[in-house]
Amino acid sequence: MKKLIAIVEDEPALRDNYAAALGRQGYQVKTYANRRLAMQSFVSHLPDLAIIDISLEDEAEGGFDLCRELRALSAELPIIFLTARDSELDAVSGLRLGADDFLTKDVSLPHLAARVAALFRRIDALRRPENSAEIVRRGALCIDAEKMQVTWNGAPVTLSLTEFWIVHALARNPGHVKNRQQLMDAANVVLDDNTITSHIKRVRRKFQQIDAGFDAIQTVYGMGYRWVE
Amino acid sequence: MSIRFQLLLVALATLVLPWAGCQYARELETALRVAQENALLASADTIARALSAQPARVFPSADDQAFKSAQGDLYVFPLHGEPLLDGYRDDWDIPADLAPLASSDRLTARLQAGMTERYLFLYIEVDSDHFTPQPGNVHPATDRFDRVDLHVLRPDGTTAAYFFATNAPGLIGAQSVISGADGVQHTASEPRIQAFWLQNSQGYHLEARLPLSLVGPRLWVQATDGRSGARAGFTPTEAPTGGRLFLTTPDLGDLLATFIRAGTRATVIDSNSLKLGAAGELHPRDLGETAESGHSWYRRFMAVDTSRWPIAASLPGRLEGKSVSTALAGEPHAEWLRTGSQELLLSAAAPVVVEGRVRGAVVLEQAGDQLLDLRDRALRRLFNFTLWAIGVVVIFLFGFATWISVRIGRLRSAADSAVGNDGSIRLSMPESGSADEIGALARGFERLLARLNEHSQYLRTLGGKLSHELRTPLTIVRSSLDNLESEGLREDQRKYVTRARDGATRLQSILSALGAAARVEESIKQAERVSFDLRDLLATAVGAYRDGFPEARFELEVPPEACFMRGAPELIIQMLDKLIENAVDFCPKGGLIGASLSRSSDHYEIAVANDGAPIPQAMLGRLFESLIEQRQGHDDKPHFGLGLYIVRLVAEFHGGRALAANLSQGGAVFTVMLPLI
Repeated sequence: MKKLIAIVEDEPALRDNYAAALGRQGYQVKTYANRRLAMQSFVSHLPDLAIIDISLEDEAEGGFDLCRELRALSAELPIIFLTARDSELDAVSGLRLGADDFLTKDVSLPHLAARVAALFRRIDALRRPENSAEIVRRGALCIDAEKMQVTWNGAPVTLSLTEFWIVHALARNPGHVKNRQQLMDAANVVLDDNTITSHIKRVRRKFQQIDAGFDAIQTVYGMGYRWVE
Repeated sequence: MSIRFQLLLVALATLVLPWAGCQYARELETALRVAQENALLASADTIARALSAQPARVFPSADDQAFKSAQGDLYVFPLHGEPLLDGYRDDWDIPADLAPLASSDRLTARLQAGMTERYLFLYIEVDSDHFTPQPGNVHPATDRFDRVDLHVLRPDGTTAAYFFATNAPGLIGAQSVISGADGVQHTASEPRIQAFWLQNSQGYHLEARLPLSLVGPRLWVQATDGRSGARAGFTPTEAPTGGRLFLTTPDLGDLLATFIRAGTRATVIDSNSLKLGAAGELHPRDLGETAESGHSWYRRFMAVDTSRWPIAASLPGRLEGKSVSTALAGEPHAEWLRTGSQELLLSAAAPVVVEGRVRGAVVLEQAGDQLLDLRDRALRRLFNFTLWAIGVVVIFLFGFATWISVRIGRLRSAADSAVGNDGSIRLSMPESGSADEIGALARGFERLLARLNEHSQYLRTLGGKLSHELRTPLTIVRSSLDNLESEGLREDQRKYVTRARDGATRLQSILSALGAAARVEESIKQAERVSFDLRDLLATAVGAYRDGFPEARFELEVPPEACFMRGAPELIIQMLDKLIENAVDFCPKGGLIGASLSRSSDHYEIAVANDGAPIPQAMLGRLFESLIEQRQGHDDKPHFGLGLYIVRLVAEFHGGRALAANLSQGGAVFTVMLPLI
């Protein structure tokens, strides 16, 4: 059965472009111009994935509200924020509201499609038994690439998709310095240096919530980051 | 020219005060002069009328025929003391005014007559290079010798002839010619008429004395040279109507003296301008204090121009001048005269009319010096006052100008430094509380600075806004291109799509650069401060730059000890990135970039120097502002002048500041100061 993707985006051209691209990937796509229309539909039938813009028509933060309402309807529904707003604050707020990923509109359609596919894969993987072939272990770190899950000392670390890919890229080759561009490529995302920095910061903080002594991600000033064991 | 000196020049305008004062003093002097003229003229007129009432006392002789010296008419000066008969006229108390004796031959002789109460004195000078004495047994009619003949018309109407001659100069008596019984003429001595014959190198002097009882209305004098027989002078036969004696009127001086007051000289003249009597002195007494003010230096600038005034004629026996001639023509007249020195003389003449005929005139003379004194005193005071006033005005204006220029200077230096080297704008101005124009100017500056500040705030956020607003349309373009490609394109179509995508990618990088500052501001808000080693950070970063910018050479200078500080290292790294990118852009290929870290008592100093072109002076203070671009980038990366603005943001986040300066040896240095704590 085709996966149903809901796109809530007030810019018609953009909305249609996304819909066309995802439709080509074999998804069923429904588009909504504003929060009200989207919610009307969601209440009766939840999509498999929601891609939401933050500012919706006259509601500057309509996307956040929509996310909150969606989360109230379903705790597991994957939600991706796709927005022109690239501020750190927006990203943090979005992820805090329970979004699975936060993409800026710089992302290309193939990248978007890859993201969507990855999210679906993760959901599918979570539902299947563990596949050890896809597991990377680095000391206390354990990465399940299939399920896109990360644990530290056995405790799960809840990372967004972008964060997951960053950790994955670093941990696969410990000791190798990954510069920002490499990390962006790994995360299939177009970000600027700053955003990478804040992503790294967030990743560290998430690990530190589990293990206060975490310092496996080292900054190599002027070059990038590396994973140290 | 500074305001101070401009105002000082303006202060010179107060010099118009003394000028106006001088004009006033001149007017005053003119008015006083006219008043004096009128007063003196009135006096003269009064005296003239008084005198015309008693013509007998003024004009004792009824004869008012014209005085003709060509016929031997002789003016007789009044003598106050009786001179000694000694051949010299030095003891005559009147000025020498010898009338030449007319001569058809070449004999030069001069004559002056004086009169005391009892005697008529004659003084005769005859130029003669040879003295011919009187022979012993003389035949006066035929013998030739130096002689002076004297014919006197006696009061009784008879004519008497005398002559003076001698064989030895000295005191002599007059001789008269008597026809003897033998028909031969002899000389007889006339002892009442005495003379002193004085011989000198030029000729001889004869001082003669005649009792008034022998002298009538006419007298003829003739000098004869003994050797040549040349004659000078007159005889009754030659000039029967000549030889008149014009006498002064006795007691007229006393009469006049009753009319005049001190400082005035009154003279009565007859119709021939000959003085009949005079009284008074021009300078009776010195007026004390007037003497020292005589030559005030400013009189030179102020005095009425008197150089064209006529010079007072000074003749002992007669008066001349326009006032005299006008009065004798029947009209009173006053005029100003100069005496030989710079003193002024006012002369007023009024005719004395007797029985409808002008018989003479009264001339009053008064010194003009009193006027000058008056004027000088007024001028001196005026000058003193105005000089004081000018001094006070100039000092006041100078002080005022200094005050103004100090205030303007304060405003100017505040305006100069209103935009700091780090691009910060100080919004308050000195003097803005003042109510005057300078205060208004200061407030104008403040408004201007506020708008400039708004503008620079706007510029600061413009990049972020632009980048944000353009992102959605750009995304539409890019996603459409993505879709287009996915639809499967022909090879020729794909070419255009690729180009469009390149353009979109470039546009995106431009937008990304534009939004860089906004993102840095964002991450500054989120930044966490940790303690880190600045030296270590700088060393690794420069190591990375060496790889990143192979076209430039890097030099690093750090202190030997670790340099710990609290801050956001990733922000410091971004700041270094921008500083180094900036330096690389400035450097020529293979240029040297010197990075250094130094520590002073209260701050770290990170300096990045390059050996490129110097920064234009006008740019130095603005480099760290948003959207200020100072270079011609030699790459195709977009430049919006945000790099150094980011440097400033990071420095300010750490409580420090960023500065740019040109190096004396060429190139420029960008310095960031970060406080130790």
